[in-house]
Amino acid sequence: MIQVIDVTKRYGQHVAVDHVNFTVEKGEILGFLGPNGAGKTTTMNIITGYISATEGTVKVDGFDILEEPEEVKKRIGYMPEFPPLYMDMTVQEYLDFVSDIKKIDRATKKKSMEKIMDLVKIGHVRNRLIKNLSKGYKQRVGLAQALIGTPPVLILDEPTVGLDPKQIIEIRSLIKELGKEHTIILSSHILPEVSAICGRVIIINKGRIVASDTPENLSKRLSGTGRLSLRVAGPEKQVLKLIREIEGVKNAEAQGVKEPGTVDILVEAEKDIDVRRPLFYALSRAEYPILYMRSVDLTLEEIFLQVTTEEREVS
Amino acid sequence: MLAVFKRELKAYFASPTGYIFMGFFLLISGIFFALSNLLTASPNYLSVLSSITFVFLIVVPILTMRLMSEESRQKTDQLLLTSPLSVTGIVLGKYFAAVMVFLLTLLITCLYPIILSFFGTIAVWEIVGGYIGFFLLGAAFISIGLFISSLTDNQVIAAVVTFGALLFIWILDWIIGGIPTDRVSGIVFACALVVGVAALVYFTTRNIFVSAVIAVIGFGIVAGIYFANKYFFDGFIVRTLEWFSLLSRYETFMMGILSLSPIVYYITFSAVFLFLTVRVIEKRRWS
Ligand SMILES: Nc1ncnc2c1ncn2[C@@H]1O[C@H](COP(=O)(O)OP(=O)(O)OP(=O)(O)O)[C@@H](O)[C@H]1O
Ligand SMILES: [Mg+2]
Repeated sequence: MIQVIDVTKRYGQHVAVDHVNFTVEKGEILGFLGPNGAGKTTTMNIITGYISATEGTVKVDGFDILEEPEEVKKRIGYMPEFPPLYMDMTVQEYLDFVSDIKKIDRATKKKSMEKIMDLVKIGHVRNRLIKNLSKGYKQRVGLAQALIGTPPVLILDEPTVGLDPKQIIEIRSLIKELGKEHTIILSSHILPEVSAICGRVIIINKGRIVASDTPENLSKRLSGTGRLSLRVAGPEKQVLKLIREIEGVKNAEAQGVKEPGTVDILVEAEKDIDVRRPLFYALSRAEYPILYMRSVDLTLEEIFLQVTTEEREVS
Repeated sequence: MLAVFKRELKAYFASPTGYIFMGFFLLISGIFFALSNLLTASPNYLSVLSSITFVFLIVVPILTMRLMSEESRQKTDQLLLTSPLSVTGIVLGKYFAAVMVFLLTLLITCLYPIILSFFGTIAVWEIVGGYIGFFLLGAAFISIGLFISSLTDNQVIAAVVTFGALLFIWILDWIIGGIPTDRVSGIVFACALVVGVAALVYFTTRNIFVSAVIAVIGFGIVAGIYFANKYFFDGFIVRTLEWFSLLSRYETFMMGILSLSPIVYYITFSAVFLFLTVRVIEKRRWS
């Protein structure tokens, strides 16, 4: 459905996007993950034809963005990083305008607008001026705008940023729902968000794709070094000594005392070794009860670090 | 294009801009009408049309400053440029909306000559011709304002620069009067133009080779013209600047003459600036 072919974008000397290649199949939800300045927005702007690539091209449904931009644009609904809203219009006027510029049939316009307003739950603010809406509602109007004309492809740039937790969950499930009939590319900083919604994740860093896989495979690959956080009732020194003697433990460090008479410890295990059972037996034999033990998720920064260093090892 | 036109027209009257434009325009024209027609009991309405052209300096920036700059500031250009609309359609829609506000205002001022007609006979066709000229002049000014608005995302800068540009055109005829018309300065000016064009090409394409070729060709043309017809460069600066002299064309309308060439001139002038606006927007997407 979407082919991104060798796309490069340079701003003067600065390379924002560096020979990026990927394809998105029909009906797929693709997550675009990367730190600030990775080139997510730039790539999306190129796919939607807002800016042009320095090199390379994009094809949507077989149409080339350079040769037949109108055909491509007809097929894409874009929700940019900052929702492109006219502050001096009401929600209804705005969506009406968007329908007009997207050349929606007059006959079906009203009905589809109603449907979309229902879907993103903005029907009750339809007569409010957009400038008076809260951030979350502006975001929703931005999403509604992208849905107008039910384009087969949706490009959503950080759709949940700035929303409260309840709205985030709502929008995520909405996107999942939309994924049934649309091909979606969505960008985010948040790994759990992407893995919850997307069938495939592309991690981009400094303009380059550093990993592309399903969320399951990615987390499998990334959970190689298991890290455990535990709280043990016992003296710090002995407990640490005990843990460090266990086979497969790479490192153990005290994290301070949160509860009197206990110690919090962060354990790092060797790749592919599960140290949870040996930990339990060793500590129970010594009569230092484990109060809790859980695995620590990698933060996004750590994942980037890991993925980028991995890439270097491979090449 | 129609959608953009409608939105823009509504936006003028959803904000004070449209009312400020109309109010100011009607106020000034009303004052001049009262002073030169009513109080002196003169039926010469064309003199009002010719003395109020200075209003353009103030009201055109108000009308055009927002047009493109606000789109880039609010990022709404992202919506327009990723929709199936063509850039030309967007630019034309905005241009016609501004022209429409101007036209509506002009229609209101038609009341003045109608009032005059109650007191005596007026030269109807001369006044219609005068209005046509006045309208085309304003439309040309608006195209300049639209173009400048596409260069910046700051309304205030757009307004100030537009004012400056219109002021320049305003005093152009006066500048032309003081400019040397000898052959040497004509040649120097032609060479400066060539250098300017080559520099512009360099800064937009960053291609030194192409701009060097353009410079060489340009100098070749200047030399060629010089050997073919020395007299071409006599008064060359003046003739070039006269291209931009919107007001001197306007005078023919004010004499009650309706001829084709100034009409064509104004329309071409607007078209060139609209084309430049489209180019600026397209260009920004490539940089
Ligand atoms: N108009 C521009 N001129 C110059 N550099 C730019 C321009 N737009 C983007 N960049 C640069 O390109 C790089 C990629 O930016 P981009 O906005 O695509 O990042 P991003 O992945 O969307 O980041 P974020 O998560 O912060 O939104 C950045 O280093 C940015 O500074
Ligand atoms: Mg971004």
